[in-house]
Amino acid sequence: MNNSALTFTPPRSVYVHVPFCKHRCGYCDFTVVENRLDLETSFLQAIETELSWLETPRPVDTVFIGGGTPTEMSPAGLTKLFELLGDWFPREQGGSASESSEFSVEANPDGLTAEKVAILHDHGVNRLSLGAQSFNNEKLQSLDRQHSAKDVANALQLARETFPQVSLDLIFAAPGESLASWREDLEAAIQSGVDHVSTYGLTFEKGTSFWSQMNHGTMVVVDESLQRDMYLLTIDLLTTAGFEHYEISNFARPGSAGNNRCRHNEVYWTGGSWFAIGPGASRFVDGTRSTNHRSTTAYLNRVLKGESPVAESEPLDAEMIARERLVFGLRRIEGINIAEFNEHAGFDLESLAGPAIQEFCELGLLEPSDGNLRLTRKGLLVSDSLWPDLL
Amino acid sequence: MAKKIPQKNIRNFCIVAHIDHGKSTLADRMLEVTGTVQKREMKAQLLDDMELERSRGITIKARSVAMRYKLKGQEYELNLIDTPGHVDFHYEVSRALICCEGALLLADAFQGVEAQTVANGYAAMEHDLKIVPVINKVDLVNARVDQVKEELEQTLAVDPDEVMPVSAKTGVGVEDLLQSIVANIPPPEGDPEATLQAMVFDSLYDAYRGAIIYVRIMNGTVKKGQKIKLLRKGTTHEVVELGQFAPKREAREELCAGQVGYLICNIKSLDDVHIGDTVSVIGNDAAEPLEGYQEPKRMVYCGLYPSDGQDFEELRDALTKLAINDPSFEFEPETSDALGFGFRCGFLGLLHMEIVQQRLEQEADVDLVQTAPNVTYEIVDQNGNVNEIHKPQDVPDSGKISEFRQPIVRVNMVQPEEYIGSVMKLCGERRGIHVRTEYLSPTRMMLTYDIPLAEVIYDLHDKLKSATRGYGTMDYELRGYEQADLVRMDILVNGKKVDALAIICNRADADRRGRSVVKKLKNEIDRHMFEVAVQAAIGTRVIARETVKAMRKNVTAKCYGGDISRKRKLWQKQKEGKKRMKSIGRVDIPQKAFMAVLDTGDDKGK
Ligand SMILES: Nc1nc2c(ncn2[C@@H]2O[C@H](COP(=O)(O)OP(=O)(O)O)[C@@H](O)[C@H]2O)c(=O)[nH]1
Ligand code: SF4
Ligand SMILES: [Mg+2]
Repeated sequence: MNNSALTFTPPRSVYVHVPFCKHRCGYCDFTVVENRLDLETSFLQAIETELSWLETPRPVDTVFIGGGTPTEMSPAGLTKLFELLGDWFPREQGGSASESSEFSVEANPDGLTAEKVAILHDHGVNRLSLGAQSFNNEKLQSLDRQHSAKDVANALQLARETFPQVSLDLIFAAPGESLASWREDLEAAIQSGVDHVSTYGLTFEKGTSFWSQMNHGTMVVVDESLQRDMYLLTIDLLTTAGFEHYEISNFARPGSAGNNRCRHNEVYWTGGSWFAIGPGASRFVDGTRSTNHRSTTAYLNRVLKGESPVAESEPLDAEMIARERLVFGLRRIEGINIAEFNEHAGFDLESLAGPAIQEFCELGLLEPSDGNLRLTRKGLLVSDSLWPDLL
Repeated sequence: MAKKIPQKNIRNFCIVAHIDHGKSTLADRMLEVTGTVQKREMKAQLLDDMELERSRGITIKARSVAMRYKLKGQEYELNLIDTPGHVDFHYEVSRALICCEGALLLADAFQGVEAQTVANGYAAMEHDLKIVPVINKVDLVNARVDQVKEELEQTLAVDPDEVMPVSAKTGVGVEDLLQSIVANIPPPEGDPEATLQAMVFDSLYDAYRGAIIYVRIMNGTVKKGQKIKLLRKGTTHEVVELGQFAPKREAREELCAGQVGYLICNIKSLDDVHIGDTVSVIGNDAAEPLEGYQEPKRMVYCGLYPSDGQDFEELRDALTKLAINDPSFEFEPETSDALGFGFRCGFLGLLHMEIVQQRLEQEADVDLVQTAPNVTYEIVDQNGNVNEIHKPQDVPDSGKISEFRQPIVRVNMVQPEEYIGSVMKLCGERRGIHVRTEYLSPTRMMLTYDIPLAEVIYDLHDKLKSATRGYGTMDYELRGYEQADLVRMDILVNGKKVDALAIICNRADADRRGRSVVKKLKNEIDRHMFEVAVQAAIGTRVIARETVKAMRKNVTAKCYGGDISRKRKLWQKQKEGKKRMKSIGRVDIPQKAFMAVLDTGDDKGK
């Protein structure tokens, strides 16, 4: 079976990348331009041009505007961006995020003004993902973040008044962090009343200032066993507080309007396809993964010259698509449904990875459950070490 | 075509020297001065044409080249045989010596007499060669010609008045040297009219021409088109081409007694060509076989395995090809529980091993796992039978051993006087027995020790260099086998004995070695989903243990749309890496770990 034999349903999702940040945080290796709002006009021009290459409007069910810091843009710029997206990616309007379409935007606590919140709301944003990272000033400083605990509280209040869904990003294992301090953050998150939390262990990416500080030994890296305790505490506290642990680093508290998971991200993890617009943005369309140039200026130059911004493009064969579906599906806590996988992935799970799965089951890292295959609690802790054998 | 040279005008000689004293450079200069190679065609070290030789700057295989030289109205043929200078290649040196009547004994004007100057000088004398002593690099500002003369006199009883000063670099003295070669080295003997009798001293495989046989004609004449016989197997062949190296192959009509050259006889398999064999005529009138060379003694063995079991046949082909051009290297199939199908390979020494391995990697595209090298041991069983042991796995249980013997070598080390203390300490640590101490000159000394070869091969040379700030040099020759208190130490991974990790060591060192080996292995083995125990044991007694803790947590990184392809590629790469490892039970052991057992545990710094 090869690519041509596969049929791909057109994407019903879109990711839009806005690269502006006031300051680049020490651990960040995303596509970001620091303090360059002067590029806003060309950015909007480039987005408009890239959108025009879609030729016809594409109706979607989920929109995710990430960054960078989308809310860094000026009110006028934001308005313009929303208008463009509304034209090219029409959504079913009204209702809650779970019922009709989901429209998420990322924001940072500092600079999230009432005016911008209103613009977001007016254009149909129904899910706000707040990059709080912590409720503790000291920790925020150690993470090289620019906002304070007070900013977080203010932003949360504003967001919760305005949007039906609010999600918090929290980082654990910050330099020198203790288990007690992480517990406080988790408790504050539960207290805050948000219905979605994403938690990540701090990672040290090549090229960041944290990376070189780690290599020079000037930064205290949290050791493995403490990281393990932090992660287990996360699971225990959040699930006890009524959150559903639905993906390795994501938790959602079901409410009257639905399960509150991020529908957009679930598209990624279940092998769905999506469009992508903006610098550094990756898409998966017609069985091909492609990524726009990660340098914002290169992206702008190319698009404004009428050239494709795509820097890398990789068509996946049917087997690789199936394997990705397996691996990213297993990152979800409910795992993959075996029957459904066998039917839709085009490959039999047994023939694809039978012996490896068997071994992991014997080691107590994976387990069958109600027709699904999923990670055990032990497996969750070391999941990244399982994937090489499944690919 | 060049006209025929009478036998009395032929000179066959070689250059013997310590490595880097300028043998290859001197050869280049002579090629140039005699007009064998035009100046514009010169590239440095012309005879070192193997890729590896050029990259390492050492001569590995002996080469021969014929030069024409005019002196006082006479035309001479000077056949120069270049020889390697490294201790591993002694036997190549002796192959070259058999073809010569004389030897240039070369010493560096600054470095002076070194360990291999002495060793190679003795070898030339044992072959009754006329020695022409030469001091090279006299252009150096720090040349110490008079002292080096004295050193030559001290060590090799060379007459200081006979020493020729030259600079292979500038050419100074080279013309005089050529004249001295003509004047002092005797022409070859042997009757051109007698029955053909020629010595095979090397061979090379050419993909188009088949075997190219290097010969020295002892008696008689061989002509193009003639039928010849290789006496050892009695096979007959037709000479389709013969000639000399100048330095490229140049065809001739005939080669006469005393000459050195090559034969091409449509021999498709080098199995028929044996170094040391005799070439003669067909029929019943063949000459007596010449006394051949001694089979070179393989001193070091290691296992070579394809890291992907699929490549076994490819590895076999590659080894076969190598062995064709390197008769000193041998291999035979072996199997290991841990590594699967592979080969046990025998080498002259560690440098030889390294060279073969590099060649395999360069010339054949096979990814290799190498086990730690070991020397050949002898075990006398209860019935008094002596068995050679080429790998630790073959050591029987101690109850079945009545005597365990190891090879002892006599090591000569030459260094400035001030380092004597540290060198003696080093030799003591390596269980050396002091034999003698000699002054070469007021400031340089030669120490002689008998040391177990196993203590020498791994790193004695490196250790000597660091103990003498690079000034020390060494050479060794096999003395024989001696009984020692040796044991086989097994390594167990999660309770499973890993045959390819076993080593033989002195009982008194076992604890220290065991501790350092398991520690090293612990660091080489990645963490698994389960705990991995690494143990060292003698018989059933565990002497050291380390644990690779189970992996308990990896980072919880986010994973969204943009991360998918990056992460997948990362994991695929990890998967490739794992595939290259060897699994013992469920434990993945990286290739490097199989060398970890070399760790002697005596250097804290590493
Ligand atoms: N100054 C100087 N350097 C020389 C002379 N002869 C050789 N060398 C250098 O010594 C090094 C070793 O020479 P080489 O011919 O490769 O030595 P081999 O190992 O004996 O063949 C090279 O760097 C040469 O350039 C010489 O007469 N004078
Ligand atoms: S705010 Fe977010 S995107 Fe911007 S620099 Fe910091 S971590 Fe990176
Ligand atoms: Mg050389």
